[in-house]
Amino acid sequence: MKVIDVSQTVMQVEKQTSIDKIWEENAVPKHRIQWCPGCGDFGVLAGLKMALTRLGREPHDIFPVGGIGCSGQIRNYLNGNALHGTHGGTLAYALGVRMANPDLVVIALAGDGDTFAIGVENFVHTCRRDPQVTLVVMNNGVYGLTKGQNSPTHGLGRDLGESSEESPPPFDPLRLALSAGATFVAQSFSGDVKHAAQVYVAALKHPGFAFINDFSPCVTYNKFNTYDWFKEHVEHVPEGHDPMSLGSAWSLLNEFEVRGRLPMGIIYSKPRPKRRFAPLPVRGENLNNADIRPLLQMFR
Amino acid sequence: MTVNSLKILIGGVQLRDGVSTVADLLGKVFTRAGLFVLANERNYASTIYGAHQFDPIMVSDSPPLSHGDDRIDILLALEHDSNPDAPEQPNRDTILRHGKSLAPGGILIYDSSTGPVPESEFEAKGIRVFPLPARSVAQRELKKEVVKNTFIVGALFRLLEFDMDHRYFRILLEERFLRKSREMVDLNMEAARRGREAVEDVLAGRGWADSGHRLADVPPSEPVLFLSGTDALCLGAIQAGCRFYAGYPITPASGILEFMDRHLSKFGGRSLQGQNERESIRAALGAGMAGVRSMVGTSGPGLSLKVEEIGLSGAAEIPLVIVNAQRAGPSTGMPTKTEQGDLATTIHAGHGDFPRIVLAPSSLEESYSLIIEAFNLADKYQCPVFFLTDLTLAEVRKTIPESFFSHPVSVKIAPERAFGSNGYRRYAWTDSGISPLIVPGTPGAILKATGTEHDEDGFVTTDPPKRQAAMDKRMRKMETYLREDAREPQVVGDPTGKPVLVGWGSTGPVLLSARERLARDGTDVAVVHFTHLWPFPTQLALPVLKDAAVLIVCEQNYGGQFADILQAHCLLPTRRILKYNGRVFYVSEIVESVGWILEKGAETVRVGEMIPTPTAVHEGD
Ligand code: SF4
Repeated sequence: MKVIDVSQTVMQVEKQTSIDKIWEENAVPKHRIQWCPGCGDFGVLAGLKMALTRLGREPHDIFPVGGIGCSGQIRNYLNGNALHGTHGGTLAYALGVRMANPDLVVIALAGDGDTFAIGVENFVHTCRRDPQVTLVVMNNGVYGLTKGQNSPTHGLGRDLGESSEESPPPFDPLRLALSAGATFVAQSFSGDVKHAAQVYVAALKHPGFAFINDFSPCVTYNKFNTYDWFKEHVEHVPEGHDPMSLGSAWSLLNEFEVRGRLPMGIIYSKPRPKRRFAPLPVRGENLNNADIRPLLQMFR
Repeated sequence: MTVNSLKILIGGVQLRDGVSTVADLLGKVFTRAGLFVLANERNYASTIYGAHQFDPIMVSDSPPLSHGDDRIDILLALEHDSNPDAPEQPNRDTILRHGKSLAPGGILIYDSSTGPVPESEFEAKGIRVFPLPARSVAQRELKKEVVKNTFIVGALFRLLEFDMDHRYFRILLEERFLRKSREMVDLNMEAARRGREAVEDVLAGRGWADSGHRLADVPPSEPVLFLSGTDALCLGAIQAGCRFYAGYPITPASGILEFMDRHLSKFGGRSLQGQNERESIRAALGAGMAGVRSMVGTSGPGLSLKVEEIGLSGAAEIPLVIVNAQRAGPSTGMPTKTEQGDLATTIHAGHGDFPRIVLAPSSLEESYSLIIEAFNLADKYQCPVFFLTDLTLAEVRKTIPESFFSHPVSVKIAPERAFGSNGYRRYAWTDSGISPLIVPGTPGAILKATGTEHDEDGFVTTDPPKRQAAMDKRMRKMETYLREDAREPQVVGDPTGKPVLVGWGSTGPVLLSARERLARDGTDVAVVHFTHLWPFPTQLALPVLKDAAVLIVCEQNYGGQFADILQAHCLLPTRRILKYNGRVFYVSEIVESVGWILEKGAETVRVGEMIPTPTAVHEGD
């Protein structure tokens, strides 16, 4: 297995040409990509390919874990290993893969329903645990695959009038992540792939859990939060913002909210000191040599 | 005088009276003295403090077949009354509950610090009563309440004329306390001395020469260990190459998590306490995906929560060992009481059809050896492998020669198979159903795994022929398993023409004892015991069972879950002996129930109430 420390990758020019080509190609032919034309998930796919190209990773180095939903399909389109499990479990599988093998680039790719509804328990605790996993949530406010039911982020920017138990207002995943102790919180928009790719590169280099809330419009079922709507509402994080400061992160969110704007870029990024682990022994390695005799002494 | 054969029951208020401390201490000392200890019936409560707890311990000079009956020779009642001025002594729980199990000629030791208990009833049965002021001596004279435990142990040793030179006891105390303080060792030795004196006072006062029971040490010829079923299981898992464990606190599986948290890292592994049952199994599946031998442990309620992921393990073919230490259900049930009620759910849990293997050990030794097999099977068949234990097997503590753990174990590591001509195909449709499994990160190979129906490369498909081929391929693994790895049941005695006691899991030993006792009473029965439960090995079971006079399936659940499986697969009728009151089967219960079945034609005997379902006597019965 090739071991590359993401933070120290030196780009190699000759290798670059071949890697460009690897990521250009999808894992499946074009006709098997089953997203509606114009779906925001295309932007995330393009951004990820750019980021992985820039980082010089190869398909066997990466381990994407896809959620259930339209967005989770991305694992099949992106070249590379992948696991696709149950609804809401994405981050917990990613945690296990990462704990087992710190040399793999583990990327969790899921939707807002998967991450913030059925999988919110994992989201909160992954923020606390801080495994080196990059999470891109393709957030569109709806359950696309099941034909457009509301997700926990449904209603963004909309005047909802009277609320009810059945249709509560949306919540802000960035605030939840900060409260839960996330060490990297960012936002991107799949309508601006180049910028999204920059954010992904930073996230993939982050030595902990990196959460990116990507606005990824559902052109079929969310007729309110459209590309045009997002273009009007997104705004880059100002140059002077200090992402190392938690206080600044909260202030930025408050300030943008007051103005009805959505910050694009890295809102918070502060690595936590962490213990390092070697990859765990795997099948095929010699596991026969475990000597349990020292352990037996306590039972004498 | 009975020598080297007794059952001591230690009872008291949980976390207050030191039941566990005394039990562990006795187990260790007797083991070191070359005696065999079997503590198979630990009973504790879900509430942490204040409930009744008891722990019967058998001591003998050769390994006992089983825990036997609920009859005890020595009752060690550690309770005291928290309100000594109260005229009633409500805290005499241990004596009230277990006094009736004392055998004639037995011994009752109780803490008399807060007053005496009526003795006439016991004396009438020839039971010798020893009121000992353990707690008041510890508190008032030795100024440290906790040494009441060593007072009691000293008293017990004197009664049994065991360790009269305090050799074993002093070494143990020094191991425990010497690093902290010499005074603690001396204080405990003093407490033990007071205990001995108190016994001598009673002996002299009553004019008894001895207690009627004696333990003589038999210095062991090889190193011996005293450990629990959970310890044995964890040692086996580590030996098998388990390097990732994930659990969530749940009785009676928490012990595995504690063991792994403490020790797995010494072998280069990691142990994770999940934030819930699902995070645990999902992380373990992730680690399994990454190529690490992984295990999760849980009990009934946790298993229910993990069900969706079990399907993923089956569909995406991710190797995983799942320990289910059963406790009494349904729902929260009785968390600290034993049962075998999860067999049906273990075999059926999950929607749709997928391959799975279910193994059930019958003893502490098999908890070690069979879990190694579980890991080998998980890697080979790339499916969930269940390891079905129960509270009894988790909590049992036993004397085992150290050499038991040094036998070579076969840890088979799935060989990395060559890629086919068209590259690596994770789900290649092979004849055996087993597809090549590589470790992700292997250059040139891409591994796409999914719980959605998929083709050979792991891409989603709903194409009918492909779906069928994929399903057939997965299920074919179970045919391969039945051909290559299923094991016949263990058979003791000749089943032909005889009544056969059929069991699985922790009930095995007690059936062997019942067979011996029935033989003494003139009834010849065979015992057939299953460890490989699923896929059910019909081709191996049927030849053993088909000529039996009557099949009596004994299990600890309400309906006879294993009997149902056996009937369905072997097309043979079964009678059933069932128990589900939270306590283990006792030999006398099996013997009596067999009588009901053979003599009175009962179909089903539910032990405890002892009112068998009345049915007509069948011909030939
Ligand atoms: S339904 Fe929405 S989210 Fe799903 S593919 Fe179509 S546009 Fe994308």
